[in-house]
Amino acid sequence: MLLKMEGISKNYGDVRANRQIDYDLKPGEVHAIVGENGAGKTTLMRILYGMEQPSSGTIRIGGREVRFADPKDAIAHGIGMVHQHFMLFQNFTVAENIVIGKEPGKLRFDRKAAIAQVEALSEKYGIRVDPRARIVDCPLGVQQRVEILKVLYQGAEIIILDEPTGVLTPLEVGELLEAIRTLTKQGKSFILISHKLNEVMSAADRITVLRDGEVTGVLEASRTSIEELSRLMVGRPLAAMDKQPALPKDKVLEVKELSVLGSGSKPAVDSVSLHVRAGEIVGIAGISGNGQSELLQAISGLIKPAGGTVALLGADVTGKSAREFRNAGLAHIPEDRYVWGASKSATVAETGTMGHQRKLGKLGFLQGRIVKARVSEWIKQYAIKAGSPDNETQNLSGGNLQKLIVAREIAQQTPFLIAAEPTRGVDIGAMETIHEQLLRKRDAGGAILLVSSELSEILKLSDRILVMYEGKIVGELQEGDATEEKLSLLMVGGKRNG
Amino acid sequence: MDKWKKLTASLLGPAAAIALGLLAGSIAIVIAGGSILETYAEMWKGAFGSLYFLTSTLNRATPVILVGLGAAVAFRSGFFNLGAQGQMALGGLAAALTALYVPGPGWIVAIVSMLVGIAAGGLWSAFAGYMDARFRMNLLITTLLLNYIATLFASYMVAYPFKDKTGSAAMAQSQMIDNAIWLPKLFKGMPAHVGLLLALVAMVALYVYLTRTVSGYEARMMGGNPLFAVYGGVRRTPLMLGVMFASGGLAGLAGAGEVLGSQYRYIDNSFVAADFAWTGIMAALLANAHPIGTAIAAFFLVALQTGGMGVEMNTDVPLEIGDVIQAVLILFITVKFVRGFRRRRKEGDPNGAAV
Repeated sequence: MLLKMEGISKNYGDVRANRQIDYDLKPGEVHAIVGENGAGKTTLMRILYGMEQPSSGTIRIGGREVRFADPKDAIAHGIGMVHQHFMLFQNFTVAENIVIGKEPGKLRFDRKAAIAQVEALSEKYGIRVDPRARIVDCPLGVQQRVEILKVLYQGAEIIILDEPTGVLTPLEVGELLEAIRTLTKQGKSFILISHKLNEVMSAADRITVLRDGEVTGVLEASRTSIEELSRLMVGRPLAAMDKQPALPKDKVLEVKELSVLGSGSKPAVDSVSLHVRAGEIVGIAGISGNGQSELLQAISGLIKPAGGTVALLGADVTGKSAREFRNAGLAHIPEDRYVWGASKSATVAETGTMGHQRKLGKLGFLQGRIVKARVSEWIKQYAIKAGSPDNETQNLSGGNLQKLIVAREIAQQTPFLIAAEPTRGVDIGAMETIHEQLLRKRDAGGAILLVSSELSEILKLSDRILVMYEGKIVGELQEGDATEEKLSLLMVGGKRNG
Repeated sequence: MDKWKKLTASLLGPAAAIALGLLAGSIAIVIAGGSILETYAEMWKGAFGSLYFLTSTLNRATPVILVGLGAAVAFRSGFFNLGAQGQMALGGLAAALTALYVPGPGWIVAIVSMLVGIAAGGLWSAFAGYMDARFRMNLLITTLLLNYIATLFASYMVAYPFKDKTGSAAMAQSQMIDNAIWLPKLFKGMPAHVGLLLALVAMVALYVYLTRTVSGYEARMMGGNPLFAVYGGVRRTPLMLGVMFASGGLAGLAGAGEVLGSQYRYIDNSFVAADFAWTGIMAALLANAHPIGTAIAAFFLVALQTGGMGVEMNTDVPLEIGDVIQAVLILFITVKFVRGFRRRRKEGDPNGAAV
């Protein structure tokens, strides 16, 4: 056994983040850890990487008991970690980022030797990078390869990948899985932390499931199923979603030849026309950064378009303020919950009031008791871990804040709803609730525009799917017709059926 | 319950800063060769030692509280108003001229003069807001620079067109207003006047506005995260103009109250010399822009100043001892201020709130 963690417990005050966790790893193995947010995955990895000390339990590497005071110790014992958010110096080259901390050369930094070493490394493990390229010019998939090479350069035998596919395109995910296979053949071991069960199933040999800080199962990937894993994660079987065919009615949103200026010479949104009818969910698929954000901002009154028109329920609202969009019938789950969706220093009740404040006013006074009662109701309905409505918003975890925002916007009961990344960072149970609520809104005659970088979410919820690429709508697929392959191809600019 | 907790929490920081300020003051007293206990005792007497001293401290605190409340409402909404000095000068000048030239029964003229003072300060401040909305000019800079225009304009007005030529003194000041218009004193023969009550009413009104009203909610959300507020349907420009008007209006009222209740004429440079505006802004910063905390902090800062005068009169320690304590306080406010600003900068929010 290469790595053996036994009886690991970690308490933060009264919170028991890890309880008697056992975990082991063989050479050349991919052993995934799955679990909902707050199940204790991150805590366990922070302990293994020396960022936290366990309250009790032992860690053995190659049979010898070890204690890590900090990540340096962990690295010295052959443990490397690729974080969810890459930690690279954007203005330096690939080679410079890889050799950092162990640079070749005595007094002078030997750039040529660094490039040669990176090339040799790249050759040895079959991970292709250009050592001379600057990080800013590299796509995210390449940046991730640089991170992996960096930990290999530091001599890692055990590589921890924390949510590695979150920012990657479907194509890049394939390349990453390929790289993992190549490296395991050469004896490297991987700890894969993820909540995407289908990727875990295709990459891992064994899977440990955590729930509420405890191990609820250790399974061979070849002898389990996604259903079994999600049951172990959530603690109950997931209800099969019951999606009726859509019954679209009148047009609620109508966008004609909408354009938004970009930062460079190319427009961010290029003459986009689309419509959403009452009683249907229209999904917009696309790799992030292809104009979806700008499109959403222009049809919610947050930026002014350069050309074209936007009509809500027949009323022209082009270039009006967000207030007028909301009055005309818009609710909006924003794509970035911290930038648009909340004020960190406000209380939970205050964050939950936004958009409702005028409806909850009486002679200009906010009816505090009604506000709190409503927010308390959402906290129960969506199982938001918020403590009291008087708690500060910044104390909520990302997933819980997302639930609060979804609850707030659905409660607006408007004819039109923009749902941008509605389940980003929330756990499976909450995802189920949110999807259910979106479908219920649709069945009640709501028009929903869904934008998501998760293809599975788009495919699951949408009645019609539009694909955005470089600011344009490059394809439209009906529900039954759309597959992940067809969408992926359109998303990278490929021609349909071409 | 919770409100009290919040208020105590917002006072905890200032209390610590004050303790350190007094400690630094002690060191300064020792260096100046005085006795710490005796000096602080004199300071206490100078500020609160008799009804006369107490009311004179309250009198001086009246405009400072009003200016502080004005700064607080702007800061809480995420806008800067460092223009209290100019707004106060215009408010005082406008009130003085109204009182001098508008006929009618004294109490009506007094009320009209105060309203005109509020309007003058408020419009001058809202003008800075307009320049932000129309030309994206930074409020921090515009409010600060408009101070010069306003105070120099007021100086000119009382040095030339409206100069008091009846007296023998060659001072730049307006004529004295009719004593029927004077604001009544709270205690006979003592300095404090009814302006203090107005300041307390303004304090309560601002507290209720911020915590209970729809508009106050929108203002606070604008201060917390402007993008969130705009996303939720808050219109930035009307809100900003309203907040800036209220902020400047309170400073204008401070000037009007000082003219109608204390000095009975507009005297060039008298507001600047007394440092009302900056003390008020400091009080708002010290109390994290909490309305009640701001009033308490304003009273405390003024007590330091009047107490300092008592010290100078009765000991060998100079008046500047009050300044030393104040300077240490400012230092601590600045630390908090810069840290908050840098935190917001890191979060990539260029419209970061003031406090």
